[in-house]
Parts: sequence; structure tokens; C-alpha cells
Amino acid sequence: MTFLALLTKELRLRMRRERTIWVIIVYILLMGLLGWFFIGRFTDYNGFYNSNGLSDTGVSLYVLLSMVQLLLIVFITPAFTATTVNGEKERQTYDLLLCSRLSAFSLVSGKLAAGLMNALLLIAASVPLFSLVFFFGGISPGQVLSALVVYLATALVVGTFGLFCSTVFSRPAVSTAIAYMAGVIWLIIPLMGIAIDFIWASVRPASSPNQFPFILVWNPVEALISTYPTSYGGGLAVTLGHLKVAPWLLYTLLDVLATIVFFTLSTWTVKPGLPGNLLLWGRGEMRRGESETPAA
Amino acid sequence: MQATDSRDAIIKIQSVSKRYRAVNALSDFSLEIPRGTIYGLIGPNGAGKTTLLRILAALIAPSAGQVWFEDEEVSKAPAVIQRKVGYMPDFFGVYPDLTSAEYLEFYAGIHGIPRQKRARIIADLLELVELTSKRDALVETLSRGMKQRLCLARALVHDPEILLLDEPASGLDPRARVELRELVRTLQGMGKTIIVSSHILLEMAEMCTDVAIIQKGRLVVSGDVDRVSHRLGDGRQLEIRVLEAGRVPAAVELLKAMPDISNVTNGDGNLIQAEFVGNDEVLHRILVDLITGGIPVISFAPRSGGGRLEEVFMSITEGSSPS
Repeated sequence: MTFLALLTKELRLRMRRERTIWVIIVYILLMGLLGWFFIGRFTDYNGFYNSNGLSDTGVSLYVLLSMVQLLLIVFITPAFTATTVNGEKERQTYDLLLCSRLSAFSLVSGKLAAGLMNALLLIAASVPLFSLVFFFGGISPGQVLSALVVYLATALVVGTFGLFCSTVFSRPAVSTAIAYMAGVIWLIIPLMGIAIDFIWASVRPASSPNQFPFILVWNPVEALISTYPTSYGGGLAVTLGHLKVAPWLLYTLLDVLATIVFFTLSTWTVKPGLPGNLLLWGRGEMRRGESETPAA
Repeated sequence: MQATDSRDAIIKIQSVSKRYRAVNALSDFSLEIPRGTIYGLIGPNGAGKTTLLRILAALIAPSAGQVWFEDEEVSKAPAVIQRKVGYMPDFFGVYPDLTSAEYLEFYAGIHGIPRQKRARIIADLLELVELTSKRDALVETLSRGMKQRLCLARALVHDPEILLLDEPASGLDPRARVELRELVRTLQGMGKTIIVSSHILLEMAEMCTDVAIIQKGRLVVSGDVDRVSHRLGDGRQLEIRVLEAGRVPAAVELLKAMPDISNVTNGDGNLIQAEFVGNDEVLHRILVDLITGGIPVISFAPRSGGGRLEEVFMSITEGSSPS
């Protein structure tokens, strides 16, 4: 019941902000314009007056839109969650939440659900654009669904990490910056590693060219690519002993595990009286939400 | 210094200390707060008033000592305390994009009040704080006084036995202050125990039944307002004007002979100042003795508790400005 009260309040506040509407408009416009220009450019060079040309256009459009959507999810979701708890502190309403019967679990899950709903709203709003892909063909509904799972898992882990940052850092600007930096590192570093490995591999014989690089199992870009048709880099599998698993599936599983870890840490740091605060008590005899400077 | 109090204590603060790194916000602080009182906390900036209120609200833990709410120790039963206590901090803490009703509905929800009961409670609270007409107004459009009353309604949403009000009158205009004072008295009439900190000493004297003066984290004096007001010089100030300046010496002689009177001085012209010990009955007897002694009294005025409390405060805190 307390969770629902918090979720209702969060959604009311978010949907009344002008910024929310503008984010949706800009998001859809950006995706739409990208698709529009892409179709124009692609037909200039290839034409789609035969069935192969049509499906190539469809797959290429899908690859472009799905990749842009993934990057937008990685970089927009933290904006919905990385200021959610310390924003309460800044608004001076945090103490009032702590004085209520709102449990740490309800507080964190309510905040997370509200932030994720904003991200889901963006994903849902872009679905009509993706329907354009089916007009051209070349992509199966199963591939779109697996990409959708990658989106949801990515939004979940990025959102939870943003929320965790907002419980740890008292200033919203700091927590947002940290969440974005972590997002960039998470996205770029493994890709850079694989690029270096690729250059190295070019000067030595490849041992197993069709094996999915293990360093990329928790990388959203590679997880999404693994849902594409084989000609676009999909279809590879990760070998775990005798088991072969689709990379996007393993990625989703790792996302869920990371989400559980960040969620648990958030509940520990968000409210007084929980084990996460033992360190704070021991160090400065403080509880979460307590100012370091003495009150009057 | 705490006076012995035979009244039923709803809160017992026992040797509480609170340390923030190198700063002692509270040191060996003990106080008993009787049920049904309006208890004022007075002290200069950094005295530890807000720290004390936050400990009572179970928002921070004391470094040492214990706080008891009836039979419950705060640190061992924070959930019980959250049910019993309504806390209003010294800032508004509002969500500007919610309406007054939505604001209260949210807090009713997170205090676990069933959905079907919320509408009635919200209507009653808005009526109590005279904000029924602002039910659907966004919080950001309310005046400061209205926001303060809304915050008070928010603190009452779960019908707590004890209200903790941190500087509730801060920044309010005189009319809003009077309205707030009346509201606090109404709440006392409803059986609630109210602990309030304020920097307006006259306000505290008029509003509170009891006060505690705190300085540098230590309790200096506590008790009912009259007792604390009388503490300095063990007497209340009295100003008497007689019809003619020529009758002043006779009046002074008569006053000096009275057992309850001390420090009699001749002020400006026909004014006499004195200190007396005792209650209003003693005051009445002094007036009767003057009249029957043939003194033509035209004005007989004991100084108000507020002014007296201010003197006590200034004396005890060595001129520190109250916060």
C-alpha cells in the first residue's frame, strides 16, 4: 500500500512536468527523422524495387533504429532515476519519508518503478516506428521480441544503478554524472577491448573465429547485435561448458543479477536502521539522511 | 536543572548525548515531558533543539542515553514511534506540483492509512487547518502561512499522540502566527502532546504550558512557564502608578513592609517598580493592602510572562540571540 502511494505520487509529479512531454516529443522526432533520412539515403544508393532490396532496407533500418534506441535508453534512463532519492533530500522531504511507515524496500522499489515507467513509456512510444520495419520485411517478430528483452533488461540495470547512485551521493549533479560515467565505461570499455583484440588477431591466426568474445557477454551493444540476422553479426552463441547460450539471454540474466545487487545495496543505504548504515554509525555515529553539521 | 514534576510523563529523555564528529550537539540531556502539554524548547543557535527533535522523531540515534515514549524505547521500536509521532521540520518539505489534497493523500498512503478512510481524513484535516477552499490548489500557489498549516495537517495525517514542531512560526506574518498558535492550542485540546521550538520568546510564553531552555546542548532550566519565568531573582516584576508623585514615598514604605515584595524602587515620577514572589492571589492581596493603606493606585501591572521569559533567557544564555 505504501509502495502504491509512492508510485502514484511519483507518476503524478513526473507527468505534470513539462520536461517529460518534451523528452517524449524529442525522442520520437529524433528516431523518426533518423529513419526518414536513412530510407532516403538507402534507396538512393540501392533502390528497393526487388524483394532483396526491400528486405535489406528493412534490416538496415531496423539495425539503425534499434541501436539508436539502445543508446538512448542507456543515456536517458539514468536521468529518470539518478536524482530520485537525493532529490528528496534536496527538496527537504526525505526526513518526512523516513518518519512514515514506508519501508526501505517500498521506497526503493517505488522510486525505481516510477523511473522505469518513464523509460518504458519512451520504448512504447517508439513501437509504431518499428512497425515500419515489418513493412519492408527481413526481420522476424522473434528477433524484435528478443531486442525488446534486451531493452527492458538494460533499462532495469541502468535505472537501478542510477537509483543506487542517488542513495549514495547527496548531490543530484554528482549522482547523475557518476551514473553517466559508469554507463559510458560499461558500454565503451569492452568494445575498445575487443577492438584491440581484433587488431591483435589480424596479425596472428584466429583460433576460433565463430566464438562469441567472453569480454562482451555483459555489453548491451553486443547483446543487441546478437539478436540481429546472421549477416548483421547475430546468431553467435556463448559456450558455457557443454551449453551454448544466446548472448542476449546471458546478458539479460547478468542484468537481472546486477539489478538485484544494486537494488539490495540501495535498500541498505536508503533508510536508517539497516545493516548498510552500520559503517556510517561506526565512523561518525550518523544515520542516512543525517547532516554532518549539527542542527540548531 | 529540571524541576520535579508529578505529572504523567509521556516522554522521558534520559542522559542523552549526541556527538557530530568534534561537536557535542547534546550533552547528558535529561527531560521529562508531561502528557497533554505544549512544551517549548528555547535556545540560541546551535543549542541542540533540532537535534533533540530529530532524536525524538527517531530520525537520528543518540550517541548515548535513552529516549522513552511511555514504555517504548525509541531506538528499539522506531515503527511504534513513527505511529505515535508527527514531525514538522523547520522547512516546508512540499511537492509544489501536487494539490493540497494530493499532498495529504500521499502522506496518508505512506502512513498506511487505508484508501477508503483517506478522503474523510483529508477533508477533516483541511477543515482543521482552514484550507478546505484550497483543496485542489497546487501547493506552490499557497502562501507561506498556508503551506505551514498544510505541513501541520501533514504531520497530523496519522493522528499521532505527539507532535514535534520545529520553528513552526518562523517566517510567518503576525496574523499567520496567531492562527498557528490557536491551531496548536486546539490540538492540545484534542489531547495531543506538542513539543515546539521557536525563536519568538513572547510567542512561546503565550503558547506553551512548559518550557525548557537549552544552551550548548545542555538543559539549563525547565518547567512550567510561570516557574521558569520566576526563576531569575525568584520574583515577578510589578509596576505600580499612584495618582500623585507625592504619595510615592508612602506607597514605597507600605510595599517594603510586605513579606512577598522585594527590590522596591521609585521609577520615573509616580511610578514604582518592585519584585514579588507568589501567584495571582498574592498579587491580589498586595493590591488590596495598598488600597486599604490609602494609596491612590491608578495602575497596577505585573509584567507579562513573555517579557519575563525573555529576561530569563537573556540572563541564562549571556545575551546569545535565540534561534
